[in-house]
Amino acid sequence: MSDVIVAEGLTKVFGDLVAVDHVSFRVREGEIFGFLGPNGAGKTTTINMLITLLKPTEGEAWVAGFSVLKEPGEVRKRIGVVFQEPTLDRHLTGWENLWIHGRMYGIDRSELKNRIKRALELVELERWADTVVMNYSGGMMRRLELARTLLCDPEVLFLDEPTLGLDPQTRARIWDYIEALRRDEGITIFITTHYMEEADKLCDRVAIIDHGRIIAIGTPEELKRSLGVGVVYVKLPRAGGASLLAKAVTEAGLADEVRPMKDGQLAIFVEDAPTAIPALFEEAAKLGLTISEVSYRMPTLDDVFLRLTGRGLRDEEAGPLEWMRARMIARMRRRFR
Amino acid sequence: MTTPANRRGYETPFLTAISIMAYRQVKRFLRMRARMVMALIQPLVWMLFFGLGWSSTLRGPMARQVLGGLSYLEFLAPGVAMMTVFGTSFFAGASVVWDREFGFLKEVLVAPASRKAIILGRALGDSLVAIAQGLVTFAIACALAGRVNLVGLPLLVAAMFLTALAHTSLGIAIGSLVTSMEAFQLIVNLISMPTIFLSGTVFPLKMAPEWMKNLSMLIPLTYGVDAARSATFGGALIPLWLDMAVLSALALALVLLSAKAFERATLA
Repeated sequence: MSDVIVAEGLTKVFGDLVAVDHVSFRVREGEIFGFLGPNGAGKTTTINMLITLLKPTEGEAWVAGFSVLKEPGEVRKRIGVVFQEPTLDRHLTGWENLWIHGRMYGIDRSELKNRIKRALELVELERWADTVVMNYSGGMMRRLELARTLLCDPEVLFLDEPTLGLDPQTRARIWDYIEALRRDEGITIFITTHYMEEADKLCDRVAIIDHGRIIAIGTPEELKRSLGVGVVYVKLPRAGGASLLAKAVTEAGLADEVRPMKDGQLAIFVEDAPTAIPALFEEAAKLGLTISEVSYRMPTLDDVFLRLTGRGLRDEEAGPLEWMRARMIARMRRRFR
Repeated sequence: MTTPANRRGYETPFLTAISIMAYRQVKRFLRMRARMVMALIQPLVWMLFFGLGWSSTLRGPMARQVLGGLSYLEFLAPGVAMMTVFGTSFFAGASVVWDREFGFLKEVLVAPASRKAIILGRALGDSLVAIAQGLVTFAIACALAGRVNLVGLPLLVAAMFLTALAHTSLGIAIGSLVTSMEAFQLIVNLISMPTIFLSGTVFPLKMAPEWMKNLSMLIPLTYGVDAARSATFGGALIPLWLDMAVLSALALALVLLSAKAFERATLA
């Protein structure tokens, strides 16, 4: 079978809250597949069902050819997981953490010693092998966790927000390691993220998830292309001008869609930005409005999310509803664990 | 790491899972110097300030008779050693709470190892630590009491092992069921104080009122302390074989209980 992960109608309900709502997707062998969405969208809940830590309320999933419902043991033998929060023993050294993991997975001693050496080399932590993990930086802990999952030679790797809270340099380095895993070891990788650059740079295909539902799925290129050619951001000095301009632009058929942003800017989705920008100024002039700032960029996955949901991906743009949802899911997860 | 052809599912042998978890608990303890020191200070305080204090009062033939022919320090030494075993092993359940807090528990739970093996491994590792602490305490206590009995040492270790296994299991069960460190500490403290007094560690139960004697028969540590007395300087209430039988049964029951509690607390 070339589909390493198959999810069909996967659903998880916590009390009144539908955390994951009939999610279906397929991940091909050797693919880096990303779940992109804001906090509380249901990403971690989906991972927890796929790695057999949480029973789906409804639906079914297969990982590496085994049902997560009927053969959770078989699934567990073939996967590696890096959780969102570190799961290292902070009082032990890096080497000891790997040793315990390897032995827990039944790898024999001499073989394990070789594998630990190679895994540490791969994430460039050889020098830190005998340092107690408590003294590691956040990036080093992540790398150690990546190394740990490699010991058992998994068919599928699940990474839940692998670069959460890391600085941009460290993040780029982690991406390199993940890339290398797919390239050199041929491991299928499932990652969740709310960083659109991460999904864009790293993933072969991305599913955009919001409120527990997949709202778009495809390669980053396909998703961005679906928006048309570009997004023009327009800033007006006077409040109220934005809505007037939005109306005029839509009526004149200049844009596919116009979305007002939280900060008062307009996001105007156009097919051809170079011709659209002068036309926008003309429309503004007709209405007697002045435009104080215009910017244009190739669409990003952020724009795709904005187009589909009317909201930005980053935390600060999430409304109180999204925030509540994230808190609720976190609390429910703890209780139902 | 290896070629795809080498890929296979992993399954951890039961004994490997036990030994690696035990290894982890011991390693972890050795890293925490503060815990090691603390575990030794408490019995020292008992022996020095409580033991020496009372031993000058409880002198003479009357006292000797009450204490089963022993000096007070000789009476106290096995009790304090068992108190250390009890304290260390019971409190070891805290690591379940910590592991949940710091995420390590998840790492263990996704592994293809039996959860019973994991729990047994933890209990054994923590028991080893508790026995080591108990023996060190006993050595110090013997030095203060000025008497040694090496012949009974194997039996003492056996009694310590059963006591430790029973109480690590109880600690793990409590640690699995509570959700915070505060709750764990509260429960453990609540149980520890009366247990230490009622088990006859610091005074002979022989002279205690009937109701108190009956109550102490319900406490696992009573049998551990009594067995330790039998194995060392004497002064026991119950025959050694009965102590050991009760301890074995209790340890077995508590191991099963902890496995149940752990599985219940961690199943999705």
